[in-house]
Amino acid sequence: MNLLAALGYAVFERVSEGEFQLSGTAPDWVPAGCLTEAFPFLEVFLPDAEELWAGASGHATLYSDLWAQDNLHFCAIAIAAEQKFLVIECAERRFLQAQSFLQYAHEAALARDQVAKLTEAKTEFLARMSHEIRTPMNALLGMAELLSETPLNDEQREYVQVFRRAGDNLLNVINDILDFSKVEAGQIELENIAFHLPEVLAEAVEIAGVRAHAKGLTLTSWIEPNVPTCLIGDPGRLRQILLNLLGNSTKFTERGGLGVQVKLDPDGALHVSISDTGIGIPPERLSTIFESFSQADASTTRKYGGTGLGLAISKRFVELMGGRIWAESVPGEGATMHFTVRFLVGEGLEKPAKKAAPSLHARALRILLADDSEENRFLIRGYLKGAGCNIDEVGNGALAVERFRQYPYDLVLMDTEMPVLDGYSAVRQMRAFERGRASTPTPIFALTAHALPEARDRSFEAGCTEHLTKPIQKATLIEAINKWVSGALAEDHIPAGDPINVSVEPWLRPVVGGYLEKRRSDVGKLRGALDSGDFATIRTLGHQMMGTGGGYGFDPITEIGSAIEAAALAGDAARMRACIDDLDRYLRYVQVD
Amino acid sequence: MLKKKVCLVGQFGVGKTSLVRRFVDSIFDERYLSTVGVKIDRKDVTVGSESVTLMLWDLAGEDEVAQLNLSHLRGASGYILVVDGCRANSLAKAIELQQRIAGQFGPLPFVLVLNKADLREQWEVQNKAVSERGWATFETSAKAGSGVEEMFRALAEMVVSEISK
Repeated sequence: MNLLAALGYAVFERVSEGEFQLSGTAPDWVPAGCLTEAFPFLEVFLPDAEELWAGASGHATLYSDLWAQDNLHFCAIAIAAEQKFLVIECAERRFLQAQSFLQYAHEAALARDQVAKLTEAKTEFLARMSHEIRTPMNALLGMAELLSETPLNDEQREYVQVFRRAGDNLLNVINDILDFSKVEAGQIELENIAFHLPEVLAEAVEIAGVRAHAKGLTLTSWIEPNVPTCLIGDPGRLRQILLNLLGNSTKFTERGGLGVQVKLDPDGALHVSISDTGIGIPPERLSTIFESFSQADASTTRKYGGTGLGLAISKRFVELMGGRIWAESVPGEGATMHFTVRFLVGEGLEKPAKKAAPSLHARALRILLADDSEENRFLIRGYLKGAGCNIDEVGNGALAVERFRQYPYDLVLMDTEMPVLDGYSAVRQMRAFERGRASTPTPIFALTAHALPEARDRSFEAGCTEHLTKPIQKATLIEAINKWVSGALAEDHIPAGDPINVSVEPWLRPVVGGYLEKRRSDVGKLRGALDSGDFATIRTLGHQMMGTGGGYGFDPITEIGSAIEAAALAGDAARMRACIDDLDRYLRYVQVD
Repeated sequence: MLKKKVCLVGQFGVGKTSLVRRFVDSIFDERYLSTVGVKIDRKDVTVGSESVTLMLWDLAGEDEVAQLNLSHLRGASGYILVVDGCRANSLAKAIELQQRIAGQFGPLPFVLVLNKADLREQWEVQNKAVSERGWATFETSAKAGSGVEEMFRALAEMVVSEISK
């Protein structure tokens, strides 16, 4: 204890509770009189010290908080040994150390608050600005659309198109900036939902395919068999990354193609690579292209456009998903963008039985669209936008026939009333051409404003595969395409062997059982009628199903009914039989929830 | 002479130490120094005919690094909740501290202080949001000196009148 006193500590020996005796000489900073008078802080510390002295066995110490009074800094130490001591340390150095630590922590906290406030202000500013820009942009784009529907000469039409394209581009830029600022402000929260990886990839490829195909590029995708298909994570952001990277590769590729490959890394991460045959990236820029507002060559911005934010946004998303992103390239030969992401593997997620809206198969279709009305062509183009189709457009039947003879098409969409050569005559010439070459009949859809049954008959008579009535709904068109062009309704719509669960409105439940029974008995009637060549009965039954299925919640019955009716009208026995099989299979597997 | 312990609590950097220095020494120092532990000062005031020695316990501001040691309030007759008008989160902290103190020590007299009135154009705290709570509230500037004396005096009166109850 004398040693402590010699070191400048004030040492007091505890005599009894609240009573202390100075041990050795007191340093000059210890005032005379009652201890707690001299050091008010001890009023707080001593009760704790008394507890220590009462309870502790052997050697134990208790330190008080640092405190300051009269410009001096102290620390009290209670020591329990054979004797009980109170030591008061004049703790200038410890105080200064603690203070510089706290000072640092506080300044960091203040700076962090300041940065958070600035980022918040920036995000709010951008959100506000983008809203302020978007509102008049919507009006501009809307007006451009209305303007394009008025009678215009070619020059004016071209101007309006430029107008619209520029508007769309501007909107994309604004959305990119907004997205980026949200990521920067940490306002993006990832979803954690079960999703089907091949579907997300197919959607991205479908959308990106439009631009790639328009440039004459191929786009292929491949998922290694060992990659789990059902995952848990944020499918929307994954799709956004894929679209950004695919869009980027398309932008910098003039010939050749793009490929997407998904595999599993040894550590379990999903590894996606997107390769292209484009201009490539100089080695010195490989590491910086993922920074915001950066393109490999500043001068490329002029040639290729874009904000340079897409890759920066992708990088942030990838990092949020616990992965990384990088690029490899041989300049002049192409580039490969790699990214890894981590998802949990989902269990038992089935492909959704009923899609919210029908979408086209990922295959790029080559379509011949013959319609003399630019508005209608615009509409169809709009419907098929994002589906990866190549659409050749002609304004009359004669041109349609000419094109048809030159190129193989997957599908022909034919307006029935057109100048020079009407649609029916054009279809007859096309069928004759096919017969002459003994080629497989191409699906041809008649597009007509006539809803009368006679019009349908006329279409099928001329050789059309399907008859669509204007105004054509997008879903109707896409369903028809999926039905006829892939040519396999059963395989696409009805998985064999698995029960098909259908939710039915509660008020319909008492009657659906009877409805399905009736349809099951129709199967027998249909087969009988087919055997006896009674196509009129088949057509009537098909028509009834078409009109009722969807109303009860069984959309496939409506689809099959419509197909049966069409096949009966066309007198196509093979197709009738296939449709009846489809119906039979559907009715066997359908279950009402 | 009466001796009363009064504690100043609040988020770090709201100006607790500066308020005490302004009140005790009539000084304001631009430099910001974090208070470590506890700083104890005393100041004599007269309430009515009564002379009171205020023992001012300036407790280190609470933050992620250091949590307020509530035992330091042991034996206090009242406390001052200090808020930086420029930082909305410092008001939230003060409200939280009030609840914790009242929970442990019961209904002690206290005042709420909106400090840094000299930076009023940067304030995030709306006086209205505070007045809705019905707490005795003062706007002060330790830098300019405004409101400081009144605030300490008001708390001293509350503390003294608490004894005569």
